[in-house]
Amino acid sequence: MAKTIVTSALVLSLFVVSATPTKLSEGYHEDLAIRPLTDGKVITAFTFTTLLGGASPRDPRDSETSAQHYTFFPLTLGQILREYAVTELHLSLNAGKWNYDGWGYPDHPSVGTGAELWAWMADGGPLSVDERWIGLRNALAGLFCASIGSLDDRRTSSPASAFPLSSIPVHHDSIPYALRYATLPSEHVCTENLTPFLKLLPCKSRAGLARLLDPQHVFDADWHGLGVHVRSTEPGVELRLTVQAVLDPVRRSGGRRRDWSFLSLFNRRIDVPCPVANSSTVHLVVPAVRGYALSPEPVSSNDTVSVYSPTSHVPLDVAMSWPEEFTFNYPLPPPAPQTPLSIKRTLYGSSQTRGVLSVSLSNNGHVPITVGYLETLPALVTLWMHTLKVVVEGTPRVDLMSDIIYHPPLLLANGHHGPSTLQATLTIPPKRTLGLTLDLGKTFLRYTEHPPDAMRGWDLPPAVLFPVPVPIRSQGGRSIPERMYTPTLLLDLPTPDFSMPYNVIILSCTLITLIFGSIFNLLTRKWMVVKLED
Amino acid sequence: MDSSSFLPVLVSFRLLLAFIPLHSISGLQHDHQLSSPLTSYARLKEGLWLYGHDIDPYAGGIFRHSPLFLSIFSTVLPPLPIVWALSDIVGAWALLRIWRARQRVGKGSSGRDGLVAAVSLLNPYLFLPSLALSTSTFENTAVLLALMFASEGKPSGALLALAFSTHLSISTFLLLLPVLMLLVTSPVSQLASPQEFRGDLRTACKYAGQFAMYWLVLFGAASVMIGGEWGWLRETWGASLTLPDLTPNPGLWWYFFTEMFDHFRPFFLMVFSVHLAIYVLPICIKFQHDALYASFLLVGILGSFKAYLTLADPGLFLSMFVLFPEVYPYLRHPIVTTLVHIHAALLLPLFHALWVTEGRGNANFYFAASLVMGAAGGMGMVDACFAGLRIAFGDVAEGERDKWAVVQE
Repeated sequence: MAKTIVTSALVLSLFVVSATPTKLSEGYHEDLAIRPLTDGKVITAFTFTTLLGGASPRDPRDSETSAQHYTFFPLTLGQILREYAVTELHLSLNAGKWNYDGWGYPDHPSVGTGAELWAWMADGGPLSVDERWIGLRNALAGLFCASIGSLDDRRTSSPASAFPLSSIPVHHDSIPYALRYATLPSEHVCTENLTPFLKLLPCKSRAGLARLLDPQHVFDADWHGLGVHVRSTEPGVELRLTVQAVLDPVRRSGGRRRDWSFLSLFNRRIDVPCPVANSSTVHLVVPAVRGYALSPEPVSSNDTVSVYSPTSHVPLDVAMSWPEEFTFNYPLPPPAPQTPLSIKRTLYGSSQTRGVLSVSLSNNGHVPITVGYLETLPALVTLWMHTLKVVVEGTPRVDLMSDIIYHPPLLLANGHHGPSTLQATLTIPPKRTLGLTLDLGKTFLRYTEHPPDAMRGWDLPPAVLFPVPVPIRSQGGRSIPERMYTPTLLLDLPTPDFSMPYNVIILSCTLITLIFGSIFNLLTRKWMVVKLED
Repeated sequence: MDSSSFLPVLVSFRLLLAFIPLHSISGLQHDHQLSSPLTSYARLKEGLWLYGHDIDPYAGGIFRHSPLFLSIFSTVLPPLPIVWALSDIVGAWALLRIWRARQRVGKGSSGRDGLVAAVSLLNPYLFLPSLALSTSTFENTAVLLALMFASEGKPSGALLALAFSTHLSISTFLLLLPVLMLLVTSPVSQLASPQEFRGDLRTACKYAGQFAMYWLVLFGAASVMIGGEWGWLRETWGASLTLPDLTPNPGLWWYFFTEMFDHFRPFFLMVFSVHLAIYVLPICIKFQHDALYASFLLVGILGSFKAYLTLADPGLFLSMFVLFPEVYPYLRHPIVTTLVHIHAALLLPLFHALWVTEGRGNANFYFAASLVMGAAGGMGMVDACFAGLRIAFGDVAEGERDKWAVVQE
């Protein structure tokens, strides 16, 4: 009798214990946005959103490790986020140069070339933010098979204005949040990264929209990129996995036709819908000019968007063709820039010791545009800030640049130098081009600091233009709607001769020894007058 | 012929050049032969910009000049070429006064005033770095002022100038001992009649204490100027000891430490620094009868083996040769030394341009040119050392030339 009471009490307590964690409601939504352009290219953007309702990021002072049970939310990523108490995480792996003039704004703004990782973490607890940043980088490097671990303190900075915290702060007492931002522009993205990325989805690549992600075709695109974005929102923690690709059916058809279909773009169709998805849609932004034929019939359509639903129409192979068009002609004159701001960044100078960084921002609109400009360059370049010049049509305009914040490359405890950070607010007058020039000095690295392919050069991270509040004195001015990235640059550094360590040491030491020996001989030997024999 | 009438011509020529804004002259500012990361004008301007914008100039390895430069150029003087021209002229005047003190001319003028001033003002090794606005001009002027005051027997001026020059460039510490010796003896040439050191040791120790006091005052002024932080020690003086910046220069250190593996770096840095220091005592002991010649030889050591060498450092050595005409007959290979110097001076900018500007050569070319420069400096040093010792034995008499020889065993 006592034994049954004890057993039932134990079983009851187990129920109580297991019922204590809050039941997390999870939702999964998929979306594919397709936008054909007038030059024949097709922009595709996959968005896979998993919402973990009721969850919140771990407080770093809180060391309790509760069990994590998720249905749709990926456990590997959840463990990483919980381990390092990350509030907001953004990782993007991109290849190619996003052409803002031709393609407009992307669906997801992180389109800088290479790997870009930034995370907001609450500051507190036994581990410092920097220690958790190191752990986070290495864990993500293992998860995505990318060399994110090399985004070390030589590339990490903290530009909080350009990458603001968009999560709601959830911890009760206001502990400060810290940002860590790092980029590696020479990182490539390939199947090795896509495979673990797809494993984070509930249906993987076997069902739903992810069926279309054939690596051979996605990575053949003119621009392609993967993104992982974690935010803490009002309902809970939101994970957004994105794949964007700018595909070119004209190139695939040998320059003749711009007809495309899922089969021609991805070599796949959506044949199985994802059963756990709360919603699964395909949005097609139809071109303004008629003359195309769309198949199959969309679920709903209006002037600008046609919507398909893979759940109702299976297998789904959306196809757009231009039956009237005999052969595709590139539209001439080239279409006007799609964004109000056109950006260009170059590195001038053929010398390997000095160069000139030149950024040119063109305002295509009728109102002044005010943007924030952020440049984080590794310590390979020395920015000569006293040569910073802002020029509009040949005349220097110092008034158009304000709020200059510059951090020189700090010497860190391990002997490395951090990156130089330059941040400024620029106002570009309407229909004008603003040119910003800055002299750069290039460093001479040690023998061991050069990479194996030293003659290639080093990639410089893209500069970021970010929206800022428009000052009152700018009449009717506006800012850009979202972040823009300039292209990366290739920096050519002078290299020593890598076959020479032994030779250099022996030659230098020989010369020094000869001089040293001669002088000491002169100083220490005795002088004699010698009679010469005939 | 009294060449002192050339003095106003030289001075006005130098001042005139400060005002001509030739583009080729402003291109000299970035030349690696004429300025190093410790003396470059671009870094001086950058440090002043950072200081003016409330950013610590010593945070990031950009600015390696002394805080004294920061204070002078941000408050009292603007960094204009005229300041460098005036410093050049002051240096030439100091050399002239040393010459007059050595020749015991006093207030009058010797017959060779113009030649001495011309050797200082027109020496391309000193003239071009001054046009390139390299702060090595100020360092050289401070050294010459220290030697000038010491030659004229003014201890306060000499020790203050030496403290300044040590603050601007830490390697000038080597000259402390010869300057102290010079203060307690006479600058007049004793090379031909060497004798034991007759100066007063107690006075010399007193002067050493005075130097330490001046040095500490300047150190305190620099610390106050920079706001109590100690980063400037690591960036300015520490740079000569740890070589953080591997920009090529005509010296022997940069390529050696570029190619050095990290494991051996601290050892060889120690070896190279101690190598500079070990010349002080032997030279001062051997030339205790002529402290000015000892300081001349130590300037030559610095001019070949300093950490961040520019052409201004061997330039000071070559200019000071004019003070010692008594050793000219005993130099064994002056023509060869001159030719090797010309050789090096032509090869260095050529191979530097081939390597970094045109991309056709590689670093080894420039390294070879720096070895030639080192050899030229070494040959000048060895010859000066030999001649300074050989002069004590005089010439063999006319008729006996082929019967006797003066050698070392």
